[in-house]
Amino acid sequence: MTETKSRDTVLQTRNLQKSYGTKGNTQQVLKGIDLHVARQEFVGIMGPSGSGKTTLLNVLATIDRATDGSITMEGSDISGLKDKELAAFRRNHLGFIFQDYNLLDTLTVKENILLPVSLNKMSKRAAEKEFHEIAGVLGIEELANKYPHEISGGQKQRTAAGRALIHLPSIIFADEPTGALDSKSASSLLGTMEDINRKRDVTIIMVTHDPVASSYCNRVVFLKDGKVYSELYRGDKTRQAFFKEIMDVQAVLGGDHVDSL
Amino acid sequence: MSRLFSEGITLTVFELALRSMRQNVKHYYLYFFALIFTTGLYFIFATLQQDPAVQERTGSSAEFSAAFQVAGILLIVIAAIFTVYANRIFLKRRSRELGLYQLIGLSKGWVVRYLIIENIVLGLSALILGIASGALLSRLFLMILLRLIGLDEVVGLSFSIPATIQTALVFLMVIGLTSFQMAATVYRSTLLNLFQADREQDYPSQPRALVAAVCALLGIALIGYGYWLSDRMINQLLFLNMLLVLASTILGTYLLYRVTIGWILYRVRKHKNGHLGLTNSLSLAPLMHRMKDSAGSLTLITVLSAMTITLVASAYSMYYSVERDARWALPYDYLFENNEQAALSFQADLERQGLAFEQGRIDAIRLVGNVYGDLNNAEGTTRRLLLLPAEQLQHIGDEVPIPPYGEVVYYNARAIVEGLEEIGEEIQFAGNEASYRLTDLAVSNLVNYNVSGIQLLASEATIQAISEQAEIDSEIETVRFDTFQMEDWEGLEQSSTIFATYVADDPFWPDFYSEYKTGLQIFGLLIFIAAFLGLAFLISTGSILYFKQMTEAEQERQSFKTLRQLGFDTGMIMRGIIRKQAFVFLIPLVIGILHAIFAVKAASILVISDITVPTVIAMTAYAGIYFIFAILTIGYYRNIVRRAMS
Repeated sequence: MTETKSRDTVLQTRNLQKSYGTKGNTQQVLKGIDLHVARQEFVGIMGPSGSGKTTLLNVLATIDRATDGSITMEGSDISGLKDKELAAFRRNHLGFIFQDYNLLDTLTVKENILLPVSLNKMSKRAAEKEFHEIAGVLGIEELANKYPHEISGGQKQRTAAGRALIHLPSIIFADEPTGALDSKSASSLLGTMEDINRKRDVTIIMVTHDPVASSYCNRVVFLKDGKVYSELYRGDKTRQAFFKEIMDVQAVLGGDHVDSL
Repeated sequence: MSRLFSEGITLTVFELALRSMRQNVKHYYLYFFALIFTTGLYFIFATLQQDPAVQERTGSSAEFSAAFQVAGILLIVIAAIFTVYANRIFLKRRSRELGLYQLIGLSKGWVVRYLIIENIVLGLSALILGIASGALLSRLFLMILLRLIGLDEVVGLSFSIPATIQTALVFLMVIGLTSFQMAATVYRSTLLNLFQADREQDYPSQPRALVAAVCALLGIALIGYGYWLSDRMINQLLFLNMLLVLASTILGTYLLYRVTIGWILYRVRKHKNGHLGLTNSLSLAPLMHRMKDSAGSLTLITVLSAMTITLVASAYSMYYSVERDARWALPYDYLFENNEQAALSFQADLERQGLAFEQGRIDAIRLVGNVYGDLNNAEGTTRRLLLLPAEQLQHIGDEVPIPPYGEVVYYNARAIVEGLEEIGEEIQFAGNEASYRLTDLAVSNLVNYNVSGIQLLASEATIQAISEQAEIDSEIETVRFDTFQMEDWEGLEQSSTIFATYVADDPFWPDFYSEYKTGLQIFGLLIFIAAFLGLAFLISTGSILYFKQMTEAEQERQSFKTLRQLGFDTGMIMRGIIRKQAFVFLIPLVIGILHAIFAVKAASILVISDITVPTVIAMTAYAGIYFIFAILTIGYYRNIVRRAMS
């Protein structure tokens, strides 16, 4: 496969397919997805439940393998990598934020954030400096020595965001990051993410079913039945205007309230 | 309520219990195996206890049957503690399942019935399998026992009905106990804490500096005091001292785990300032997290390990030193005192049998004397003394030094055992004006220990002078010893029976070979019982640690998933886990061995010989078997991590 990476392309997929199950009883979840993400983009992925958005995120995040098609990230073809190489790739280039935080209960906020650094080449001094900078942006500096059970959900998600950022990844994958948060913590976290996306050289790809959350993005990709249904660009629109547009597409797509059942 | 409907099939409680057991087999196969093992072990023990051949050997001695009885009770206690502990862990692991039954509307009574049926099926199958495997193995154990006590005869061992009944009774009791525990747990717990049980953790809190420091030092001080006292407890308050040593060591150990180690880990972690790294995140952090909860069980494991090692090491040391101890006590295979006729006749017997031997003769004197300079007694103590000429001893092969004229050396193989330190400085013999210098104490015997009188070595000239100076009416007994030393073991065995006919009327005239054989029997039985108990202890401590780690591994499953997503691979995670296991298994082992070293040292006064070698062998064997559990645990973790990673 020839490298057609433009200067600004961080992630590109071609005819990405994923099916589950054994022979004779397979279920195709992703039916050929072509996606192109530019550097420093903040992309939202939306779609009714069963549309394959979480599967897409897992495949992109190298946690799951595609059945067919190719993914190119940071110039390397991911589909050809072995498990160990994939792990190294994740370690060096990717960051993750999950709905249920996935913090280690036994570690403090600071230890959780610094965990990904432990196998990177980053020096202790540099890591310390980076930590203070990130914790400052996320507003969790004074929580450094607290354990996850001592802080609120919003603070936990900020910690998870800190952990996703500390090793200077080029792409952050976020899976329903605001799913478990109340609306105030959610909008505060999203504002911070928007800020980080703009100020730091980082691309964010976020799966969500919440139109408010996706209104913080530059672009929203809608999935339906394992295919890209449509895309919306925010451009110079206000967040409120963008939110309305998203709502409109969702109304056409429908079926999302299945999620809340 | 006692029926569930599923796919149109009516399920009774019993069927459900069976079905769930089949599904859960992988969860409790180790518990099941441990149950079978303890049952089997107890059955073998009971069989030996009931066996007429063994009873014949041991029945003659009250100590033997008492040792067997005590060991049997200890075995029951271990089995009970272990099963209850394991049962607690398994109940906790299944609390979500139990909660679910109640959530769908089944009563607590139903859940208890269900658990008890399961427990009875499990317990009874373990009982049957245990007795079956025990019956197969008991012959092997009997052979080991007989070999240890030096009997080669083959004894038929049939399946013992009384032993079966005894085992069944004990384990029915254990099943009853665990069933009661299950009922109590279910009735006491609420739905909410059933659902939260697997999330139960204690969080490391910042230790208050002063309290922590005081407690940490107190823990070390208590252990130190226990060690110090263990060396000095032989006096009138022996029993109280032993209790004091035990109490302070155990409490110290608990504090060590609860505070000292936690405090050290806390300092290390604080020093890292958040840059913990993956390996420490998977070892240091979870260890600290569970220190409070673990302190109790780690203390239990340490104490059990220390007890086992002490028991096995002491028993093995005694068994190991039987020959040397017998040799120290009886330097001559056969000894006749003032009985030239018998000696000659014995010599003729030996020659007739064609046995190779060396013969010797010692002329000594026995008299009464006063020993001065003993700190306990400034007045001097009157004792019966046996003076042996060094030149003659050298002549028959004993490599003793010849003390200068006017000096005597005190010989006693049991000097250390008896705690002799002050031996006096001066001796005055009955009827003698002059006093002689007592220069030294040697830890060995010049002649066999049954010879009357304190054994003193002097030169022939000194002995001559003492006899000459003595007043006519003072009692100086001249003693003639005829000694026999056999060339080989076969000769010893044969000659021992011949010798027995010469001393038939004197019950206390031992010879080396029979003394050695008796020791072998006593200590052979002792090492057998010790090893038996040790194995039971070891299996329980190992399993307790294994179960604990299994539970922790389940709780950490989500962490492994997270770490995988962060880009860590199995190898990196396993490094952290292996470090944690090293801590969990090594700390109790090292502290247990340390405790045992002092305990063995305190017990070593029972043995004359140096016991370093047997102690080290026993400890190595213990550690070897113990590490099998560590390897099993790491294997279990590896599976969990692999499954979480895919």
